[in-house]
Amino acid sequence: MHRSILALALLLPAAELPAHHSFAIFDHERTYTLEGTVREVHWTNPHGYIELDVTAGPEGIAAFTVELTSINMLRRANWRSTDVKAGDRVTAIVAPLLSGEPGGLLLELTVPDGRILVPPVPAIQTFKRTP
Amino acid sequence: MRAPLRTASLACAALCGALAALLCGTSAAQLPDGVPNISGAWERLGGLGGGGDSPHMPPREPPPPLKPEFRAEWEARREAARAADARGEPLATNYTFCIPDGMPGMMSGPFPFEILQSPGQVTIVQEAYNQIRRIYLDKPQLPLAEIEPGFYGRSVGEWRDDTLVVETIGVREDVRFRDVPHSPEMRITERLRLVAPDVLWDEITIDDPAVLEEPWTVTFGYRRMPDYEILEYVCENNREYADERGVTRLRTGPQD
Repeated sequence: MHRSILALALLLPAAELPAHHSFAIFDHERTYTLEGTVREVHWTNPHGYIELDVTAGPEGIAAFTVELTSINMLRRANWRSTDVKAGDRVTAIVAPLLSGEPGGLLLELTVPDGRILVPPVPAIQTFKRTP
Repeated sequence: MRAPLRTASLACAALCGALAALLCGTSAAQLPDGVPNISGAWERLGGLGGGGDSPHMPPREPPPPLKPEFRAEWEARREAARAADARGEPLATNYTFCIPDGMPGMMSGPFPFEILQSPGQVTIVQEAYNQIRRIYLDKPQLPLAEIEPGFYGRSVGEWRDDTLVVETIGVREDVRFRDVPHSPEMRITERLRLVAPDVLWDEITIDDPAVLEEPWTVTFGYRRMPDYEILEYVCENNREYADERGVTRLRTGPQD
C-alpha cells in the first residue's frame, strides 16, 4: 500500500505551487466566522493547526480544525508560537473545506489581547469574505 | 567587559580582508581564493517574498521542449491537474506526502535557501524540507553507473571566471521538475553568477535527448537576504492524504 501511494505521489509532482499544497481544497466563495476556545495548538510543519471548540458559528459545528500556513511562513510574518495557546478564547475567520468536513484555512484570527493576526496565505485576497 | 569587546572589534576590523569576511559577518565580494562570495541566505525573485518587479528578474521560463510522444501526455496531466483544482479536488502531489522537491526543483524555492562555500565544496540548504545538496569542486564526476539514483543526484562544479558551473547527474526518474518526465541519463548544468552585488542567477539547463527535443533552460534569480537565518523544517504533522481517486484530502479533528 505504501509503495503504491509513493508511486502516485511521484507521478504528480507539484508544479508551481508556492507552498506545501494547493489551496483548491478550500472554498474561495465563502467564509465562516467561528468563536470558540482553543483546545490544541500545533506549531508544526508542513502546516500549523489550531483545534477549536466552537461556541458560536454555523449551525452544527462543535469542533473545527483550523489550518495555518507553514510555520516558516508564519515566522517571517512575525507570528510567534506563543501568540495563541490552549484555553484562549478566539475568533477565527476561515475558508471552509469544500468537502464539508469540519476544517478550513485560517484567514484571520482575533486573539484574547485584541490583536488581529493575519496568516501569510498566498493570494489571500482571492478568498471571498461572507457573513 | 567593554575593553575586551572593543579589542575584539578592532581586531576583527583589522582582519576584515577577504579572509575574515565570514568571521566578521560582512559580505566581501570575493573569498580568499578570489572566487565570488555567494555564501549566505537567498530568496527567489518573484517568489513568496516578492521581488517580481526587480530589474534583475531573469527571462521568463519557457515550456519544456518535449518530444511529441511525451508532450501530449504531459499536457494532458497538466490539464487534468488544472481541472481538478477548478473542481476543488486537487490531485495529490509529492507535497501531499511530504516528499521534497529534489533537483532541480529545490532551486525554485519556494522558501529561502543558504549557500555555504567551504574548501572544495559548495553546499546548498533549502529551508523547505531541510533539503541539502553538495557540490564537489575538486572531484571528478563519476560514471553514471556508479551513482545510485537519488533526489539530488551527484553534483560537481568549478569556477570559470565569475561563474560557478555545476553538473548534476543521477537524479531519480520519479523526481520530476514541473512534472516533466526524464530519463536516467538526464544531465543538469547550472551556471551560477552574481548579476548584481546582491542578485544571483542560476541558469539551469536540462539535457535529455531521450525526452527533450533540445536542451531546456530555466533561469531563477535570487536576492540576497543579509540578515535572514534559515529556519528548520520538519514535516512532522502532515494531515494530508490522497483518497482512492488520487485527490488531496485533509484529516480533521484532533490527531492522536
